[in-house]
Amino acid sequence: MTEDVTEHSVSEEVTDVSRDSPLNGPGVPPDPAWFEQAADEAPYARHVLTTPLHLDVADESRTNSWTAWAGYTVADVYTSIEQEYDALRTRAGLSDISPLTKVRLSGEDVVPYLDRLLTRPVGNLEPNQSTRAVLCDGNGCVIAEGVLFRLGDEEFRLVLRSSHLDWLRQSALGFDIQLEDVSGTIAGLSLAGPMADSVLRLAGMEKPAALAKHQGVWVELGGMPVYLSRTGMMGGLEYELWCDPADASIVWRRLLGVGQKVGLRPVGSAVRNIARLENGVALEGVDYLSAFTAVDPSDALSPYDLCLGGCVDLDRSVFNGQAALRKTAESGSRNALVGFELDLADAGVGGPICNGDKQVGRITSLAWSPTLQCTIALGLVRASALGASDGFTIKTQTGENIPAKLTKRPFLRFS
Amino acid sequence: MSDDALQYDAIVIGAGHNGLVAAGYLAKAGKNVVVLDSAEAVGGAAQTAEISPDYQVSTAAHLVSGFPRQIEKDLKLSKHGLAWATNDMATVALDRDGKHIMLSSSRKSDIATLTAHAAQDADAWKAFEGRVGKYVKLLKPLLDKRLPDVSAEAATKAAAMLALRLEKMGPADLRAFLQLVPSSVASLLDRSFEGDLIKGALSLEATLGAHAGPHTPGTAFSYVYKKTQEAIGQGMGYPVGGTGALTEALASAAEGLGARIRLESPVIEIIIEEGRIKGVRLADGTVFEAPIVLSSVDPKTTCLDLVGARHFETPAVTHVSRIKMKGATAKINLALEGLPTFANFSDREYGGRLLIAPDMGTVERSFTAAKRGELTLDPVMELVIPSYHDPRLAPMGHHVMSIIVPNVPFDVDGGWDTQKDPFVKRVIDTISDYAPDLSDKIIAGEVLTPPELEDRFGWGNRGWHQGNMSFDQLLSFRPAPGMAHYEAGVSGLYLCGVGTHPGGGLTGLPGKLSAEAALAAEKVS
Repeated sequence: MTEDVTEHSVSEEVTDVSRDSPLNGPGVPPDPAWFEQAADEAPYARHVLTTPLHLDVADESRTNSWTAWAGYTVADVYTSIEQEYDALRTRAGLSDISPLTKVRLSGEDVVPYLDRLLTRPVGNLEPNQSTRAVLCDGNGCVIAEGVLFRLGDEEFRLVLRSSHLDWLRQSALGFDIQLEDVSGTIAGLSLAGPMADSVLRLAGMEKPAALAKHQGVWVELGGMPVYLSRTGMMGGLEYELWCDPADASIVWRRLLGVGQKVGLRPVGSAVRNIARLENGVALEGVDYLSAFTAVDPSDALSPYDLCLGGCVDLDRSVFNGQAALRKTAESGSRNALVGFELDLADAGVGGPICNGDKQVGRITSLAWSPTLQCTIALGLVRASALGASDGFTIKTQTGENIPAKLTKRPFLRFS
Repeated sequence: MSDDALQYDAIVIGAGHNGLVAAGYLAKAGKNVVVLDSAEAVGGAAQTAEISPDYQVSTAAHLVSGFPRQIEKDLKLSKHGLAWATNDMATVALDRDGKHIMLSSSRKSDIATLTAHAAQDADAWKAFEGRVGKYVKLLKPLLDKRLPDVSAEAATKAAAMLALRLEKMGPADLRAFLQLVPSSVASLLDRSFEGDLIKGALSLEATLGAHAGPHTPGTAFSYVYKKTQEAIGQGMGYPVGGTGALTEALASAAEGLGARIRLESPVIEIIIEEGRIKGVRLADGTVFEAPIVLSSVDPKTTCLDLVGARHFETPAVTHVSRIKMKGATAKINLALEGLPTFANFSDREYGGRLLIAPDMGTVERSFTAAKRGELTLDPVMELVIPSYHDPRLAPMGHHVMSIIVPNVPFDVDGGWDTQKDPFVKRVIDTISDYAPDLSDKIIAGEVLTPPELEDRFGWGNRGWHQGNMSFDQLLSFRPAPGMAHYEAGVSGLYLCGVGTHPGGGLTGLPGKLSAEAALAAEKVS
């Protein structure tokens, strides 16, 4: 039965390619050459980049609403936030996450290199497992957070939201490792939602549910090799699919084609942002500045400030930030990134968080959660304010004080 | 593996002057110290050896100008055989026509030679000396003590103190000093003097041993810094028996205080366990254990090769790997069957430090050639006749001459095999312009090109100073930002070579201050 469905959907997909496209006009297939880099074009000449999935994404866009992510043009909203959110939380959503920076690390010294680079040792990570990776600078401030995949004994892939190659290279001095930016040679797709398993099954995968959290596996999808991992930042059941850029379009179309049956929809950045906020995930460049971006050193935050203390293992051989983090661990952190639930959505990002009359912090991210039926926010507050008996309030743009309830992250819990 | 005999309180790597000073101070504080060195004799760059039988000379470094009396007293060096042959050498700028200039200010007769040369420069010299003297006074308190790291709270206080002293100098001197810091010695000298010879000689003094020419920004400060180092010492000179006698006295003093010196013991690894120093491993596999290791090897080699980059956080590795170390130099030592005849030379001049640098252009050209990997046609140099004050270095009536030629590329165009002979000939010919009978008196000679210095002392390609002595690598920035306190970032590891504050020259201060830092840290913990 499953086989039949798959066969059927493949043929459907072929007709899909030639169907009328808003980009090309009727009957004209999209020409990928439009976005290809010319041979004589300097690598830095382009400031606006397109992902390998750009044409397919454009094909799905009904709103022509785009946003920039690390220089790449990505869809903000495909159809409407409500529809996409509904699909993501009740059925399944597919997104293009190709703009992520992917770095391949390999070589004899790769484990000691990563042990020195990250706040937690990686030696115990099994092949095809992934873990949350936190990078600190010499002052013990967070440079970036990412996901580290172990692909083999001496091969890892670090996935970050922005490029920190300079730091990775500097840190490689004295280690026998190879470091390659493979961002351009790996396309990424995110498939999330309660029906994600069914979509994969419909696409021909046998036992997607066998994959444990943080685990990865090589699979074949429509004849294309895809590295499937149970990772993501939106909470609930979610997968990420990593493949060759040349295959990405086929994988995307196949998933969308077979997924229609269960209500799969493409999901844009706007909804992904709501979903990650519901999951309580803070983003570099949004909720906090990378240590290298913080012009004022006091804007750089330690993992303890970001409530990432669980990702720090102090008692081991030297790692970046160790000396400074030891001191911070002793003295306690100055700030805390915490979650709030609000009654009103009138407050804006950057708005002041008050405790009594005193401002004790500011909002870093904020969104209306359709599931929770309230506004949820992440805010950076002074750690000393957390113990205060007075409740927190948030000042709205009209100067009104509205109560904000301190809430444990994640806001939305999945069974 | 570790038998009890190989366990110490502290290990010092390198038996050069700084390593031995450090060992002396540690032993004096009651520590059980061992000094390890790969060479067959103590001394590092301060060694006396034979050119040929009966002719002895300081093989590499040939002058001592910044060695503080305090160290001499603390380690009772005179009891261990240290005696100064002279510490009152004049600096002489050689002139082809015999109108040499004495550049030491202490004596009226010296200034008289300058007056004879150019009256206006004699006046200018007094003003110049006075001005430099003020800057020296300003910097002097910073040079013989440990400096706080730039990021440390204490640094703000130290900077405030310096700012206060700067302000006290008055607006004119303050302006002049702030102007001096980034400028080149050429512009400083052009502002002060007219004569080519005095400018040439002073610019050579400022740039000797550095990878810089008179027009290189920052060399004005280098000059002031050198003068400050001299002011901390006891005058320019050398001990009886050459610079090697200084390190021999230091070795004997350290051993007298209980330190052990083990030669022919090249350290290949500093062992770290759980972020702490465990000891060192020699090339033959022997392990010495100690909770404290002081390394007088340059900071780059110590941190990146002996310890290994992985034991440091990335910023430390980046800083250390970026330390600029350049300024290759050649050394030529000659055995002479008599004193060469320099025109119009008096006793004081024969016993002085002779500079061949007819004008700044010649000095600049030699640097420019070195940058291109070439040898200049008109070499500039510093030479001394050590046997003049210390006759025992050569048989009766005979002499030795020691010549330092700066701006000699390590990788010379055409290779040293073919370039060595023409290079030596050019140097001898240049000196012969001033002392025509020199070549007739040469009995034997020894030429140490940068690669040969590298083989013998390990610093041929990197200059003598384990890091350029430019403003960006001095004071709290020496050897690298975040390392000014001699601790190298690994608990128990200290740097004690000239790569640390206050820098190059036979001063012994890095060794002393590093030992003090190690002892102070131990008291705290």
